[in-house]
Amino acid sequence: MRRLSALPSLALGALVLGCAVMARQTPEDAGMLTWTSRALPEARGDFRVLPDGRREAIRYKGWPTRDFSAFRTYDYDDPRPEPVVERVTMPAGLKGDPTKGRALFLDRAKGPCSGCHLVPGADVWPAGNVGPDLSTLGDRGLPDPYLYQLVWDPRVVFPDTAMPPWGRNGVFTSEEIAHLLAYLQTLRGPLPPETDPDRSPFTRKKPVGFGDNLDPTNNPAVLLAEDAQALWEQKGPAGRACADCHPGGPERAMRSVATRYPKHVRIYGRVMSLEDFLEAHGPETTGRPYPAESADNLTMTMRIKMASNGLAVALDTSSPEARAAIARGRATFYRKVGARNHSCADCHTSDKGAKKFLGGRLLADVSDGLTRHFPTWRTDRGEVWDLRKRFQWCMTPLGTNMLAADAVEYAELELYLTTFDRGKPLNVPGIRH
Amino acid sequence: MADIGKVRIRIPSSIKPGEVVQVRTLVIHPMERIERDREGRIIPKTYNYINKVIVTYLGKTIVTFDTTQSVSENPFFSFAFKATDPGPLRVEFLDTTGGRYEGAVDITFA
Repeated sequence: MRRLSALPSLALGALVLGCAVMARQTPEDAGMLTWTSRALPEARGDFRVLPDGRREAIRYKGWPTRDFSAFRTYDYDDPRPEPVVERVTMPAGLKGDPTKGRALFLDRAKGPCSGCHLVPGADVWPAGNVGPDLSTLGDRGLPDPYLYQLVWDPRVVFPDTAMPPWGRNGVFTSEEIAHLLAYLQTLRGPLPPETDPDRSPFTRKKPVGFGDNLDPTNNPAVLLAEDAQALWEQKGPAGRACADCHPGGPERAMRSVATRYPKHVRIYGRVMSLEDFLEAHGPETTGRPYPAESADNLTMTMRIKMASNGLAVALDTSSPEARAAIARGRATFYRKVGARNHSCADCHTSDKGAKKFLGGRLLADVSDGLTRHFPTWRTDRGEVWDLRKRFQWCMTPLGTNMLAADAVEYAELELYLTTFDRGKPLNVPGIRH
Repeated sequence: MADIGKVRIRIPSSIKPGEVVQVRTLVIHPMERIERDREGRIIPKTYNYINKVIVTYLGKTIVTFDTTQSVSENPFFSFAFKATDPGPLRVEFLDTTGGRYEGAVDITFA
């Protein structure tokens, strides 16, 4: 159960509206301030307690289940501020081992540091370039205590950095940082010539796309979306079908509908994406459940969005509800969360990581508009993902607990992201790695 | 998600008589594979993958593909043939459980 009253502006809006309709109290009015997740169990961000007392996250099959409740989340009800900057002095007598340091630098269970920083070695694969190239860091003669502070909590020196406070948040111990420094101080020029242009993120070719995303022989999601035709016409347990109220088939009845989502839906008192709306509206009218992240929800969402393919995204950005929600979505985008103390902006704005490599992955730039091809076929997963599942997957490396797929926080973040797609044509389903 | 066996075939929008035509085809199929234990014995479970593809044109088989368990989920096949006469091009996918999935397009000349 989520109480939206924690949001001063929305609560105020609801209050004003509440006065206006006081005379006829409807169930919709009564339900305005609460939202219970209707997502599939694995998409809710819930936990189970193991026999040994540990808490384990309930996740999609194959996803990590570690509990990160010690760290800040995107939950509007999470009052914790960003962890305070921690100034440290390097413990005296700490002696590092360069070999151990190199192994830690590349350890995927830790950073890996090489996800953002290039260092020499053919086994450094794949290295990223979100942070500076450290290939000859030893030549700069930087003192160990300074580097120790930079790894422990770099915000002391660079307040606006995208680099996590590794020591401060307990990812690396003092000894481990000493090993890392010992390794970094061995990095000296001149460097041998690069033999493989793909090794270095500075010369690596940018990945190309996967061809025509609307070609059913190229994108299996197009075929999966065809299942919606039968769903559309099938009567649900309540005796009605989508087609009964929306005549003309999804292509005609739903033309241009998707261009207006996510939007603030008055009767539910919250911002909703098409997936969120379907989850509530589908069962209320047909009796058929459409939980977030279920095959039926994704299939129907794809079909409805496909009816707007080629039409420009035309969000409401001017109503008071929309403006307040976009402001909250923007705040979420810049909010630092999790063990890594990252924000979305750290990776996806052009003054930080956008269009640079994080490991082998090229980071997308929010200003290009990242939402209009969702739900999208993910070639490496062989699954259709909507934007919410993509958000939830982002939470995993950030070291923060994910929220329910239909959480209002995600809906308002999605709304903020969609403002960058305004005027650009929808193109669903996409195809991405 | 979707039903097994949906077939899609794509050919160029205009074809001239005698032209060599590139065909793209895909079938929705789960590809459940054979796995072995440490001793090399097959773990008894239902495996299911496409093991034969038959292409017929004007009633004659023009090509067959024999595939093994390394064929992917939702496999995609592309091949070329010479379009001599108008008529149906039929693609059949057979899997290890006896499933038979078929798609067809009409070759017409612009």
